[in-house]
Amino acid sequence: MKAAFTRFVVRQPLGAAGAVVVLVLIAVALFAPILAPHGPKDAAFAPYVAPGREFPMGTDQLGRDLLSRVIWGARLSLYVGVVSVVFGITLGSVWGAVTGYLGGAADAGSQRVVDSLMALPPIILALSLMAALGQSVDNVILALVILLTPTAARTIRSVALGVAANPFIEAAQATGASQTRIIFRHLIPNCMASYIVLVTTNISYAIVVEASLSFIGAGAPPDEPSWGGMLTAGIQALETAPWMVFFPGLAISLAVFGLNLLGDSIRDLTDPRLRGGLG
Amino acid sequence: MTMRLSRRTRRAALAVAVLFTLGSLMAAPAAAQEKPRPGGTLTWFDYGDPGRLDVHAESPLVVQQATAGVYSGLLHYDPDEPSKVVGDLAERWTVSPDGKTYTFHLRKNVKWHDGQPFSSADVKASFDRVLNPDFKSPKCGASLKPMVASVEAVDANTVEFKLKFAAAPFLPSIASAWCRVAAKHILTKYGDLNSAEAQIGTGPFKFKKYERGSVIEWEKNPNYFIPGLPYVDGVKQYILVGGPTQLAAAKASKIMLWDAWPPMRKTQADELARARTDVDIYQAPINTMFFIFLNSKKPPFDNADLRRAVNLAVDRQDLVGKALEGAGVPCAILDPKLVGDFALPPDEVAKAPGCRQPKEQDLAEAKKLVEKHHPNGLDIEVAVRQVGNYVDRAQLLLAQLRKVGIRGTLKTHESAAGYAAFGKGDFTIIATQDRAMDVNEPSGIFHVAYTTQAGSNYGQYSDPKVDDLADRALRESNRDKRKQLYWELQRYLLAKGDHASVAVGWVEGWFFKDQKLRNYKPGLTTYDNNTFMKVWIAQ
Repeated sequence: MKAAFTRFVVRQPLGAAGAVVVLVLIAVALFAPILAPHGPKDAAFAPYVAPGREFPMGTDQLGRDLLSRVIWGARLSLYVGVVSVVFGITLGSVWGAVTGYLGGAADAGSQRVVDSLMALPPIILALSLMAALGQSVDNVILALVILLTPTAARTIRSVALGVAANPFIEAAQATGASQTRIIFRHLIPNCMASYIVLVTTNISYAIVVEASLSFIGAGAPPDEPSWGGMLTAGIQALETAPWMVFFPGLAISLAVFGLNLLGDSIRDLTDPRLRGGLG
Repeated sequence: MTMRLSRRTRRAALAVAVLFTLGSLMAAPAAAQEKPRPGGTLTWFDYGDPGRLDVHAESPLVVQQATAGVYSGLLHYDPDEPSKVVGDLAERWTVSPDGKTYTFHLRKNVKWHDGQPFSSADVKASFDRVLNPDFKSPKCGASLKPMVASVEAVDANTVEFKLKFAAAPFLPSIASAWCRVAAKHILTKYGDLNSAEAQIGTGPFKFKKYERGSVIEWEKNPNYFIPGLPYVDGVKQYILVGGPTQLAAAKASKIMLWDAWPPMRKTQADELARARTDVDIYQAPINTMFFIFLNSKKPPFDNADLRRAVNLAVDRQDLVGKALEGAGVPCAILDPKLVGDFALPPDEVAKAPGCRQPKEQDLAEAKKLVEKHHPNGLDIEVAVRQVGNYVDRAQLLLAQLRKVGIRGTLKTHESAAGYAAFGKGDFTIIATQDRAMDVNEPSGIFHVAYTTQAGSNYGQYSDPKVDDLADRALRESNRDKRKQLYWELQRYLLAKGDHASVAVGWVEGWFFKDQKLRNYKPGLTTYDNNTFMKVWIAQ
């Protein structure tokens, strides 16, 4: 285990750096109530206080401690990112694997549904969904699930088609295994590498979409400490209080950078065509 | 004939005007001598899309702004001296000795924009419409209905208003920018004034274009009844939603004037001052009250204790300090800067429950009231329109209410959708809604938000004593007695503290005018003097 970890650090130094960033992000999100010096919604201080000893990231236009909001923002971003990706990618993966394996009309029909969903620009689709569903964190997750599902379905279907052509699937069929057993016992487990890559690479995407929706006022409710929402507030006082944009912007950048580095490394490690395996 | 307002009121108005004009007068003393230059297009903005354009039936400022230069009134506030009521479509008027009959003599040979002749029948049709008890007219109708008994066309050029009693606010109310005269044949043809096609007035500008969400344009009316006016060829109102967009347009010189709600905040004014040296920036009151509305017809705020708890929990000084960056008068139901000694002395207001500082006593009382009915706290949905800095204000309110066990989640509305929801009573609490006095007169705010029939009584609250005091004050002709009645009314509202219209404070802010713009004088209310009939643009 230790040797594998060392090899990972040596062969994927950027991935290791990404992993560190992601671990820090997870720690900050988990321990937000302990780490944040103040409540993220407590407008108890003077507005527009510049970063200093008392407020390391300054205060915002309503006199809220920006450090506390950025810390709680990590929790919100990670929550939205992880939950939406796990649900969206899992749902899409099962959909893609099942329809890919079954083939025929079910596959053709489901792929046209996927085509339709993928034809819509993601942000426009997310905006429309938020307009219809209303502003809440749960609805942001729902919108993201709807965005991510067709992507996962398309990707995993192509993987499943490849796996289904393997002799062990034929062998299972020859032994009289049911289709359910073949799909869930043999097919899907052999798609897991692609699934993991999809999950890791799409968390950063989900975080950016949530931030974008909140930035344009269609994401998390305005009082929730969302990094995107903080950017919107910051833009209104860009010259007076540039720290209101800088710190949430930095948080988004670091989180996305770390997750992308980690996701890329995992993809390299799991893709036999890219010679970066641990073995 | 003209009607002058009180000295104190005029003084307040003059102070605004002086502040505003001082810079340009000092910079260019010869400007007053300049000859008006015809031509050019004035540009400014609406904070949101009006959607509907019926000035008699709607209450958003953007509706009035969108149509201001298209219509004329019987009277209006003098563009050269905005504290003075002067004739517009009425050349002159007389008052009966008992003060209950006003006879208006109309201008002759006035034509509607479609070429039809204007007559007293149009005036009667317009005022019959707003006075119809079945017609919801939240501005003009709400202020005139308590006073006016009937309107009659004596002949083609004479109209008579019979009042229920001799009412001091009658002339300022008739001069209100919401009491515009519409064409009878247009009302008959369209049924209302909501569409762009129905915008046929007698004003200095014709309604040219309305691109939803983008721009509203007027063009010069060549047949305007005052020869030589207007000076500018047209007016463009960009629909700019959100502070950053509005400020960006100002910084990029896309707009020449910012003299309407929402005012700039200090930080925005400073930013503009750094970006442009060709503008005069000034601070002024905007005759607008920052309100919170509680729905008294639905739980939980059908409970007087919980309305009182909100009233106690709201920290007005903090809201004005942060949301308005200190530019405002917290707590006051009447602003002494606007209505002089009709307002309760600020020292007395500052001791009232809900206003007194430090806040601990009020918070403790509020918490007890909430716990009495909701031992585990109360969860509510807090509605807010996404205009101006309303969302910031709402977040501050949520933080304040949390201290007494009221946990709110924000429900945001697009501007017009919000108005529609609030008008139907489809809300629990409106976090913030600025309401302007239609006339700069102490009766104004009570008939906007406090009486049962008030145009913006969103919380649908009714208190017979409030109605009685407001009505008696309206009827009282003796100034001192009238003042005592308004003091009694303010004291009653402050002491009882359970009204569904919760006053936070009077809004002030920063505005600007391009130095090329000449002869523009801000009105007493945010609604007045935006016809731009006498404004011109220097080379």
